[in-house]
Amino acid sequence: MAVQGRIRSGRTKEERRAALLAGYRALPGTHDELVDAAGAVRPHWEPFLQEWCALSPDELRQRFGLADRHVHDTGVSYRVHGDIDTHDPSAGERAWPLSHVPLLIPGAEWQSIAAGVAQRAQLLARLLDDVYGPGDFVAKGLLPAAVVTGSPDYLRPLHGTPGGGALQLYAADLGRGPDGRWWVLQDRAQAPSGAGYALENRLALTRAFPDMFRSMNIERLAAFFQGFRAGLVARSRRVEPRICLLTPGPLNESYFEQAYLARYLGFLLVEGDDLLMREGRVHVRTIAGLKRADVIWRRIDGDFADPLELNARSALGVAGLVQAVRGGQVHVANGLGSGVVEARALMGFLPALARQVLGEELILPNIATWWCGQPREREAVLARLDEMSVAPAFRSAGGELGRESVLAGELPAAGRAALRARIAARGLDYVGQEVVRLSTMPVFQNGRLEPHPMTLRVFAAATPDGWKVMPGGFCRISEEPDARAVSLRNGVRSSDVWVTADAPVEPITLLPAPDRISIQRVTGTLPSRAADNLFWLGRYLERGEATLRLVRALLGRLIDSDPSPGRGDTVRRLAELLVAWGAAPHDRGRNPAAQAYSALYSLDDYGSAAASVREARRTASVIRERLSVDAWRLFGDLQKQLTPQDGRRPSEGEAYEIADRALKTLAAFSGLSQENMVRGAGWRFLDIGRRLERGIATCRFARQFTENEPSGEALDALLDLTDSQITYRSRYLLGASLQPVLDLVMLDPYNPRSVAFQVERLEAEIRGLPTLAEDGMLETPYRLVLRLAADCRIAEAGRLDRTSILLFEQLLMGLSAAIADRYFLQNSGPEGSRLTGIA
Amino acid sequence: MIYDVRHVTTYDYSRQVPFARCVMRLLPRDGSGQHVRSSELLITPRPAERSDAPCFFGNRMTMATIASPHHELKVEMRARVAVERPAPPYPGLTRGWEEVAALALASCSLAPASPAHHLYPSRLVPEVASVIAYARESFGARRPVLEAASELMARIRRDFAYDPDATEVSTPLAEAFARRHGVCQDFAHIMIAGLRGLGLPAAYVSGYIRTIPPAGQRRLEGADASHAWALLWCGPETGWIGLDPTNDLIVADDHIVTAIGRDYADVAPLDGVVIGPGSQQIGVAVDVIPVG
Repeated sequence: MAVQGRIRSGRTKEERRAALLAGYRALPGTHDELVDAAGAVRPHWEPFLQEWCALSPDELRQRFGLADRHVHDTGVSYRVHGDIDTHDPSAGERAWPLSHVPLLIPGAEWQSIAAGVAQRAQLLARLLDDVYGPGDFVAKGLLPAAVVTGSPDYLRPLHGTPGGGALQLYAADLGRGPDGRWWVLQDRAQAPSGAGYALENRLALTRAFPDMFRSMNIERLAAFFQGFRAGLVARSRRVEPRICLLTPGPLNESYFEQAYLARYLGFLLVEGDDLLMREGRVHVRTIAGLKRADVIWRRIDGDFADPLELNARSALGVAGLVQAVRGGQVHVANGLGSGVVEARALMGFLPALARQVLGEELILPNIATWWCGQPREREAVLARLDEMSVAPAFRSAGGELGRESVLAGELPAAGRAALRARIAARGLDYVGQEVVRLSTMPVFQNGRLEPHPMTLRVFAAATPDGWKVMPGGFCRISEEPDARAVSLRNGVRSSDVWVTADAPVEPITLLPAPDRISIQRVTGTLPSRAADNLFWLGRYLERGEATLRLVRALLGRLIDSDPSPGRGDTVRRLAELLVAWGAAPHDRGRNPAAQAYSALYSLDDYGSAAASVREARRTASVIRERLSVDAWRLFGDLQKQLTPQDGRRPSEGEAYEIADRALKTLAAFSGLSQENMVRGAGWRFLDIGRRLERGIATCRFARQFTENEPSGEALDALLDLTDSQITYRSRYLLGASLQPVLDLVMLDPYNPRSVAFQVERLEAEIRGLPTLAEDGMLETPYRLVLRLAADCRIAEAGRLDRTSILLFEQLLMGLSAAIADRYFLQNSGPEGSRLTGIA
Repeated sequence: MIYDVRHVTTYDYSRQVPFARCVMRLLPRDGSGQHVRSSELLITPRPAERSDAPCFFGNRMTMATIASPHHELKVEMRARVAVERPAPPYPGLTRGWEEVAALALASCSLAPASPAHHLYPSRLVPEVASVIAYARESFGARRPVLEAASELMARIRRDFAYDPDATEVSTPLAEAFARRHGVCQDFAHIMIAGLRGLGLPAAYVSGYIRTIPPAGQRRLEGADASHAWALLWCGPETGWIGLDPTNDLIVADDHIVTAIGRDYADVAPLDGVVIGPGSQQIGVAVDVIPVG
């Protein structure tokens, strides 16, 4: 197939290549990944260029479209720091900027990178064991004590604790210098991010270039994650440990990645509030009570992990976690104190340390670093200050330099003098570093390739078989041609990293060997927070649906050219409901069309369809690891449908179409959850939320359309709203009349839209939930739903009136509150309040 | 001197508290001319779990979990402590301060008493340029470290107003410094910030000071509550010397050390996390009585 393509486009292929490479050359004094100094393409890029140029511009665009759609559909996102809206956690998210050209690294070269990163991980792990243990390296003079004690991540309460600084996942930020050598720019030992993004980049590019992956023998990533997970499992005392990924929450810049990895690796995604320390052990709060957590993979800084023994101001941690770690009852990875080895001050000491501790030279050197806490080094830095990059020696809590490095030579004279004075006065806070000139790699832009500086993050995991390095990585590309430091916060692109093997690569997946799988039919325990969010997701979706039905019914009557008598009264009733609902404001006068528009689009009216969908998406965004990609995609569709196009107000007919289409999308979501979600506790809570909301909405519809002697037209509207028109017509030949309509809408257990049907479903779902009571008594939610079910069964349509319908509605609301009380976190109380005052 | 110390802390809650997890650093430590003859810590209601173990810096730390519903939490510490510190060195004969800074920086020890732990800013003692500039006035070139530090201590006593209503634990150091008043805790933090800013190792001490002055002497400030002061490392021979800027005193036998850390956050006598929506009121009573 590929061969055919090449033959067909053989003549233009050379032209394409020429156009693609036109003007591409290495920047002066830098190494370029694609071409050498003479401008010739490096051999390992040839197969890629061949395949690339075999594609016509249209084909190429189509391939990119596939990759971009994958990114869009899976909702890959990151958050720009400081861009936070606490009311809408998904608001600050940015679409993932994927560069379509991967970084290519030949297998032989990769060998030495991998060996260097593994060696460094090993060295830093030894160093961590020592500084949280005997302290011999310092005592022997291999490094000054002040290089350790200066780090805010040297967590003294972890001293002497097994695993206090245990390294499980390590990452090195690499750059390639002008001479072609790779250098370590920065060590990441706290809670490195990016491995999940690397995985996502890989999946996206696989969509675009599936054939290249086969023909070029690209190393796969799954085995690395398998090893990482096995490493975590090995840290637990239990054979099938419960592993939690502790996230700072949805406002964190890489929350998407955390949710993604939790799902990919099968870990429970938890926030600090989900965990509780009791009797020396850490537990997850679930709907079935406290369940033991064996291993915690943390993505919060160690210092924030325990407000009791570490940073008292942290709201992210678990009070008592350090004590549980000390008692050996939970393993935290990386060990809470691991961040201490990220200090730049340490870098200058690593070459000698490697020789002493490992008996080896560093395979990967780090950029030359001088810690100004030493007199000789300080003088050397001051003497060459103008050529130096000066950086805080430790992760500073926001000193004059902040966290970033500065190029001293580019500071104004006064700033340079001030920096000089500060280094002279307190040199221990600073390092001088050789200025790095990063290599460039190709980025496809405006139909051709352009060189951009890049850094490469490479990951190493401690596995039962030793340190394993991910064959690939997280490549970040600067938008600036002259970047000497690349940060994802400054809006850079990222790219996949392809390590090419000489022979075809065996596919490996995360699935264990068949003989090691024990069959299970229940999917773990559901954390209370997830249950809460699923419940509300169900409610918001159903609320959006009810609003859309109202809007559709209202607009349908407005555009009807042959209005039946009583139409005015029905329109009034519909519009009143929209107002009572909070979907449209009071002040739109008597213009029902304007109210319908508000109910569709207005984000200021909390009951509008757009607002309900926004809320649904917000709740979904914090349980993203539990939703399928297809389900997530529907949110995007819905939000698009409920955003006014080109700022124009649609005609009544168009608005009717919009409501109709949005209802179809919602129906697709219901279909997905009905057909594709496992009937576990998670599904139950989603369904309970939907049923409750539908029951409440139906009661409201029924009240609004049956009071004050409704016309046949008003009862018709009620049948429309509850989707019961066809059933009614098939049962009754006459037009709509009050009692049969009320029976069908409220009490008929065979009508899936009736209140009685919702209550039956609720009873079944709640019966299936775990119970905590050990005394054999019924729990409140179940007691309430049983009463409701009995009331529905014995009620008669002839006796239903406004008051008795309202009673049903109130019982449903009471049931909702009882469920929240029993199953969600809210009332078990945040461990938030602290003792205050000077004791 | 031998002292009987009694320190009672009570928390009154407006609503019932079902669960509390506390950490206490109330029991005095041994060492540096101080010997704890007896001590006990009584917690009411009785904790469901309690563990007593020294923290990194060697302070006696008690962790307790109270799992029964309660309206009041009462923590009472009683101790008998004998204090007989070696006489401090003559300030003019200590090493030059630059030399002390260099020695601390070159320290080859991560042991709890190492000066290396106390060279950098900490949670409650950030780097504040104005404080460093203030401290620097006492540190002329090659001046003996204890002489210069004593002068700094005297200036703080002179320039700052002792005002028990001025601050709470949460008053930032820069604010207390700018307003030139505070309590013992603030003065200790300010002194530490100044010394560390110059590269000198300085630690924070919580403890007590004798309540009743010896006949004919003034009553010392900070006697009705727990007290706080600073420790300065003066070189390997001299080690750590206590400096009390609230009273302009080099610490001798009138002071009882409870705990040592980088700042208040390391040694908070009583801290905890409680479940419960209500408000709380704290009461503290301290008695320090010389018994011989």
